[in-house]
Amino acid sequence: MTGLQLRNVTKSFKEGDTTVDALKNVSLSVEAGDFIAIIGPSGSGKSTLLSIAGALLQPSKGEVSINGKNIEKMNEKELSSFRLTDIGFILQTSNLIPYLNVLDQLILVCKMKGKVTSKDIDLAKTLLKDLGLGEKLNKFPDELSGGERQRVAIARAFVNNSNIILADEPTASLDSNRAFEVVKQIRKEVKERNKAAVMVTHDERMLEFCDKVYRMADGVLTLEK
Amino acid sequence: MFLALKEMRHSKTRFLMIGAIIMLIGWLVFILSGLGNGLSSLAAATMKNIDGDLFIYEEGSEAAMMKTKVSGSIADDIVGKYNVEQAANFGQSTIIVHNENVPDVKEKNDVTFIGIEPGKFIEPTVIEGQQLDPNDKFGVLIDESLQEKGYDIGDTIVVTSSNLKLKVIGFTKGETFNHLPTIFGHIATWQSYAFAAPGSDNGLEYPVSMIALQGNDIEAEKIQKDFDLIETFSKSEAVMGMPGYKEESATIYMMLAFLFVISAIIIAVFFYVFILQKTQQFGVMKAIGASDRFIKNSIISQVFFLSSVSIIAGIGLTYLTALALPEEMPFNLDFKIVLLYAVILLIVSVLGSVISARRVTKIDPLTAIGRVE
Repeated sequence: MTGLQLRNVTKSFKEGDTTVDALKNVSLSVEAGDFIAIIGPSGSGKSTLLSIAGALLQPSKGEVSINGKNIEKMNEKELSSFRLTDIGFILQTSNLIPYLNVLDQLILVCKMKGKVTSKDIDLAKTLLKDLGLGEKLNKFPDELSGGERQRVAIARAFVNNSNIILADEPTASLDSNRAFEVVKQIRKEVKERNKAAVMVTHDERMLEFCDKVYRMADGVLTLEK
Repeated sequence: MFLALKEMRHSKTRFLMIGAIIMLIGWLVFILSGLGNGLSSLAAATMKNIDGDLFIYEEGSEAAMMKTKVSGSIADDIVGKYNVEQAANFGQSTIIVHNENVPDVKEKNDVTFIGIEPGKFIEPTVIEGQQLDPNDKFGVLIDESLQEKGYDIGDTIVVTSSNLKLKVIGFTKGETFNHLPTIFGHIATWQSYAFAAPGSDNGLEYPVSMIALQGNDIEAEKIQKDFDLIETFSKSEAVMGMPGYKEESATIYMMLAFLFVISAIIIAVFFYVFILQKTQQFGVMKAIGASDRFIKNSIISQVFFLSSVSIIAGIGLTYLTALALPEEMPFNLDFKIVLLYAVILLIVSVLGSVISARRVTKIDPLTAIGRVE
């Protein structure tokens, strides 16, 4: 079973003496080739949902199956190597490593797995070329525009060839044109490579590119479109 | 190594500065070791050069030359017994001398006069001139450092406060005793100088300062039991008994120990601050799937590389400094010791970074998510 399945997931945090439910009985299923969006105001729980879907957090209750594997029983170490092989994160612009050039940002992910093969390097170069960065392989993040940096982040999420792509506010700090460009490119890569992708955003302009839109409010997830 | 080197190439100034600090610490460590080595050979080179296994001193002397007088006849009595293969008498006095052959120079020099039996194993090999001759009671070997002061082979040395005159027949190398250059002479000559005053020989037959013994597993206990008023010491105890030796080396070692601790702390603190600065970055890497080990390895390999390069630079700087130091300075670099301290310094810096790198475990990959909200 591929894709991402959350079944009746609840996540509670202790805040002082009280317990706060950040997620309340959330169920979500994303199949390969699906590109879905989750919108909602700050503090609604969408980051928590993304963290659980990305094996950064474990649920308090419920079941999470990523790529057919359940994450509830994994320990820290297993989670981190699971993230490395099965999940691609698109994080915010500032999250590139400042002292690595564009190609090395991707090579780093391969290095974490162990030996870097020429196949890895070829994949990294193809991804960057697809995203229009073919000429910028040796540039450092501070020499790139915001949109270019975000495209590097997209390439980095795809380079480990995982089946799940999770994007955290990929259009934050981009102007409309660049934001559209970036989301279109995520969609293109998701469709071409048949990945299951979730994007968390509060930018409603981007929703037209998504197959489904969920809204998150106070820990409850509802399908909107 | 991948991250470590890329980062260093990218922020050169930062790493150059830390490298410079490690290099300077290394430099200080190596200079101190050279100084310590120089001082200790100045204090005890002649003693260290004696290839002896056991040393006989007067009982209660604590192996101090000023306090010891034993009968040299013991030497003849114990050779061939107690596993002793060879025994050599050794007499020591500090004397003041001047060179008769340079009449216009009135400068007098403090030297250590050591009386030995010509041909015995404690006699050093000359680098110029001849060895001691049993039939020439006034011929002496002098340390080459006296050459700079105008002494040469064939010169006559006048000993102050006595009518003793000695003739230079050879030069030795690296023979200093009690911080003074050593003059080796015939033991009988030394005896007539040292025990000129009646009664100063304590009534001993053939008095000497100390007897050096050679042999495997010498039965020290038995020797002490069989002879009165003597005490035996190992070579290291005998060297430790040299005046000022213990104190000097303890001072140097204490400074070295502090330097090692300081360098560990400096590295640990620097890299702790770096890790705090890069919490966000490491959080992202952990979110993507980097294990703690991957990140720690990159930090530690960075320190390893940086320290190695800096320490090698420190060694280079030390040898350059050594060229500029004045000749009289007791500075003596032993490459083996330099290498040993370099390795200790490297280990200590890497340990410092290992301590800091533990911080990485505490970084939560969640910091990478939802920062904009």
